[in-house]
Amino acid sequence: MSDPEAEGRLRAKARARAHERALAGGEKADYRVGLAATFTAEPLVPFLLDGLLEGGRRPAVSLAPYNQLHQACLDHRRAFAAPDLDAVVLLWRIEDLLGRELELFLAGDADALPAARARVAQLAAAVASLREAFAGTLVVGAPAFPHSPASDLLDPTGGEGARRFHAEATRAWREGLEGVKDVLTLDLDALQRHHGAARSHDARTWYLYRQPYREEFLALLGGRLAALLVLTRRAPRKCLAVDGDNTLWGGVVGEDGVDGIAIGDEFPGSAYRDFQKLVAHWRREGVLVALLSRNNEADVWEVFDRRPEMVLRRQDVSAWRINWDPKPDNLRALAAELNLGLDSFVFIDDDPVEVERMRAAWPEVLSLALPADPARIVEEVARRRLFERLETTREDRERAAMVADEGRRTELRSRLSPEEFLASLELRVRVFPAAEEHLPRLAQLVNKTNQFNLTTVRRDQAELRALLGSPGCFVYGLTAQDRFGDYGMTGAALLRERGAAWEIDTFLLSCRVLGREVETAFLSALARAAAVRGCRTMVGRFVPTAKNAPAADFLPRHGFARAETGEWTAAAAAIPAVPRHVTLTLED
Amino acid sequence: MSADRLRGVFAEVLGLPPDRVTDATSPDSTSEWDSLAAMNLVAALEETFGVELTTTEIMRMRSVGIVREVLRAKGVADV
Repeated sequence: MSDPEAEGRLRAKARARAHERALAGGEKADYRVGLAATFTAEPLVPFLLDGLLEGGRRPAVSLAPYNQLHQACLDHRRAFAAPDLDAVVLLWRIEDLLGRELELFLAGDADALPAARARVAQLAAAVASLREAFAGTLVVGAPAFPHSPASDLLDPTGGEGARRFHAEATRAWREGLEGVKDVLTLDLDALQRHHGAARSHDARTWYLYRQPYREEFLALLGGRLAALLVLTRRAPRKCLAVDGDNTLWGGVVGEDGVDGIAIGDEFPGSAYRDFQKLVAHWRREGVLVALLSRNNEADVWEVFDRRPEMVLRRQDVSAWRINWDPKPDNLRALAAELNLGLDSFVFIDDDPVEVERMRAAWPEVLSLALPADPARIVEEVARRRLFERLETTREDRERAAMVADEGRRTELRSRLSPEEFLASLELRVRVFPAAEEHLPRLAQLVNKTNQFNLTTVRRDQAELRALLGSPGCFVYGLTAQDRFGDYGMTGAALLRERGAAWEIDTFLLSCRVLGREVETAFLSALARAAAVRGCRTMVGRFVPTAKNAPAADFLPRHGFARAETGEWTAAAAAIPAVPRHVTLTLED
Repeated sequence: MSADRLRGVFAEVLGLPPDRVTDATSPDSTSEWDSLAAMNLVAALEETFGVELTTTEIMRMRSVGIVREVLRAKGVADV
């Protein structure tokens, strides 16, 4: 029991068991996963549950009967014995699905490969029909390299052995799924390579229970699967607030001097340089970098200016608080300045006390203390996958650049009256019916917008796609630009026709365009579009969350009155007009 | 104390109160001890006692008392 990983697995299983007892005791799950596998998957469930719990879900997992992937695809309600699943996960192994074809292939049978491809194509076709019937999240495994004693990874002949078979099966799977929309892939082969093929397999449990994997591998698999599922519903973190001394460089600049700190090619400076490379990578992916340092500000900038070994440049830093105030206060100020919720932040510091202080003050901030040994910093931080997301969109990549524009806007705002400021923006807003090509950004907006969001209904891409074509359902997007730059697609709304009364199911705007009355222009455009289709009354709801106070008074400010039902209603004709400083284009 | 550790593993994995676990507890007398529980028991026993069980040993484990014997025979002292 001195193995910390084994202890971690015991704790994970205990948490999962406690959760399952709570479910059995009547607690409601808020996220239901159906899991089908070609092997005995029960021992995977605790690790999947634990990962989902860690991601803030109250999960329930239903297993399809052993090795019934096709059945699960063709009648998922029956196979999982669960009516309203949020996600379906399908995992298969070459040994199980194509075991016979693999043996024949290794024995030189020329028909084996076409037969294997046909079987894979058949399963892919079943997945396609599941996709038609099931609107939730769909995850499939890409098959791992098979455990084949006749041809393992050490096989020096390479090409013609199991390696070729594995490559062909993987390709057939990918090709079979090419036309199927919104299928997420969990690469079991990558997981197995990461963990080690030889260490992943347990012959004993395979022979006894048809369960092929060692528990260490099941823990990794369950954790990665949970992380993928959580990412379909959770807003990714957007900003790194990072310490300077002994974090971005070795030593304390105020004591050791600009020339005395460690950064560069020699250890320990090389470890800090590599950490900066990781931060620079996040920066390129659209993560904002902010400095939270107890220092004299001039000393810190001198490090950036005078140490050419620094990977991060001054312009990579979007905001900073370099002073002696408590870091939780500074971080709150950064959040206000950057217009981000606290739950968008990751905080990294070498001082565990600072990290604890931050956790105590703002539990929603993901706070991480660096390991004491500089050599372990990069692997320890990278392992946490702090800014992982499903897709990086153009808006993400450009967000960091946009924030620089925001700085110029703030500067201008301070010199003009509010009306003058708004007029000076030359704000142009376009409202349009959302289509196929908007889905990735639409899903991102729906899942990550916390502040200006009336109902905070989260939906993934597949669910949104289903709504696009659905009768009586109108999904709109909004783009905005002004003379400082293009904000991209920053708004979304979903209206539902209920006769002459139209319900505002979803209405949200990215915080990047708040404070400019874009919300008024958006609502006005929607009312106009709905009125054309016979809408007389708009019905809105405000569902308060910890984050959406900025939207709290939106409905009453725009002519909505509270009905006895708790809903807010307004005559479509009474919705305020488009503000004068906004040039609106309504495409409908 | 050490006996409690073995009973604790069974109680936790089978979801039983510890006082319902005795050396006579077996799959035949305990509906909770099904094949899935057997699989979980192997993992829990290996983790708790730091051993690796062979398939022969796993297949022999038809009661808590036998598990105790098997673990002792593998050199686990405090069981």
